[in-house]
Amino acid sequence: MSLQVFRHWIPTVKDAFDRTLMVAKFFCGLHVTNTFLCTCALAMGPSMLPTLNLTGSLVLVERLSIRFGKMASGEVVLIRSPEEPRKVVIKRIVGVEGDAVGNEEATAVVPKGHIWIEGDNKHNSRDSRQFGPVPYGLLEGRVFWVMWPPEDFGSVGRKVENNSLESSAGCQKT
Amino acid sequence: MSRLFQFVRQWKPIIKEGFSQSFLIAKFLCLLHVTNTHVCTPVLVYGPSMLPTLNLTGDVVLVEHLSQKFGKVGPGDVVVVRSPENPRKTVTKRIVAVEGESVTFLVEPALSDRSHTVVVPRGHVWIQGDNIYSSRDSRQFGPVPYGLILGKAFWRVWPPDAFGSLSQE
Repeated sequence: MSLQVFRHWIPTVKDAFDRTLMVAKFFCGLHVTNTFLCTCALAMGPSMLPTLNLTGSLVLVERLSIRFGKMASGEVVLIRSPEEPRKVVIKRIVGVEGDAVGNEEATAVVPKGHIWIEGDNKHNSRDSRQFGPVPYGLLEGRVFWVMWPPEDFGSVGRKVENNSLESSAGCQKT
Repeated sequence: MSRLFQFVRQWKPIIKEGFSQSFLIAKFLCLLHVTNTHVCTPVLVYGPSMLPTLNLTGDVVLVEHLSQKFGKVGPGDVVVVRSPENPRKTVTKRIVAVEGESVTFLVEPALSDRSHTVVVPRGHVWIQGDNIYSSRDSRQFGPVPYGLILGKAFWRVWPPDAFGSLSQE
C-alpha cells in the first residue's frame, strides 16, 4: 500500500531535482562570471567624494585587469581591507611598487608587491596614510563604471595626482 | 548556391551536437572551479621552508577554504597564503600568532641569538615556516593581512607513505 504512494511521488521528486540542478548550474555560471569577469558593488561612505556618492553608488567592477598585469597609478579599485578581512573598500591607487608617495612632511617608498591607496576625499578617508602600503594580493577588482545614481552614470577614469609626480622627481628609487 | 545550402544542412546537427557537448563540459568546469575555490582543492607544495612537516621535493596537500571564510583559522594551522611580495605566488606556512598577540622570534637563528618581539596588528597574522633556518616568512616581510589567506592545509595526499592528516603543533 505504502509502496504505491511512494511510486506516485517519484516523477515529482525527479522534476524537483532536475529544476534544482538547473538553478544550481545557473548560479555556478553566474558566480564564475562575477569572480573572473565583472561584478557590481555598492559603494557607501564619504571617503571617495566627489567621485562616488556618500549615500551609495552602484558600481561595476571588472576583474580582468588585476590578473593580467600590474594596475597603474590613478585607478579606482575594490580592495579587501587589511584591517578588517571581511570588509571590502573602494579607494584610488596613488602609488605602485617603487613609487615615492607623500607630501612635504613625510615620504615613503612603496615596497615590492605592494600598492599605496588613498581616498579622493583626503579629509575623511581611512587609507594607506593610516595603515601603510597594502599587498597587491588584496586587490579584488577595478571600478570602471557607475550605474546608479543616474546623474553619476558613466565611466570612472584614471586620475594621476600632480603632487606625487613632484615628490618622486626629487627622491631616489630603491 | 544550392550546394552551399546542402553543405550547411549536412553540418547543422553536428555543429549543434558540438555546441551542446561543449556546453556540458563548460558546466562541469564551472562546478569544478567553484568546488576548488570555495570548498577544497589539492595543492602541490615544495621547498625547504616547512621541513620536517612537508617534504623538500614536493607534497600534494588538500586545502580547504571553509575555515578561512568562517574565521576559524588560528595559531598552529598550516595555511596557504598569497605572497605579500609577489602576488602571483602562493606560499605555505604555519600561523604562529593572530591579531593582538605578541610574537618573539630569532632574527637570524643561524648567526646569533638576538630576538625581537612584535605585536601582531589588527586584521593580520604572523606566519613562519617550520624550518626557521631556511624560510622566508613574517620574520622578513612582516605580519600578513588575514585577507591574503587562501585556505588551510589539513590532509596530505602524496607521497603515499606520508598519507594522512597534518597534525597541529
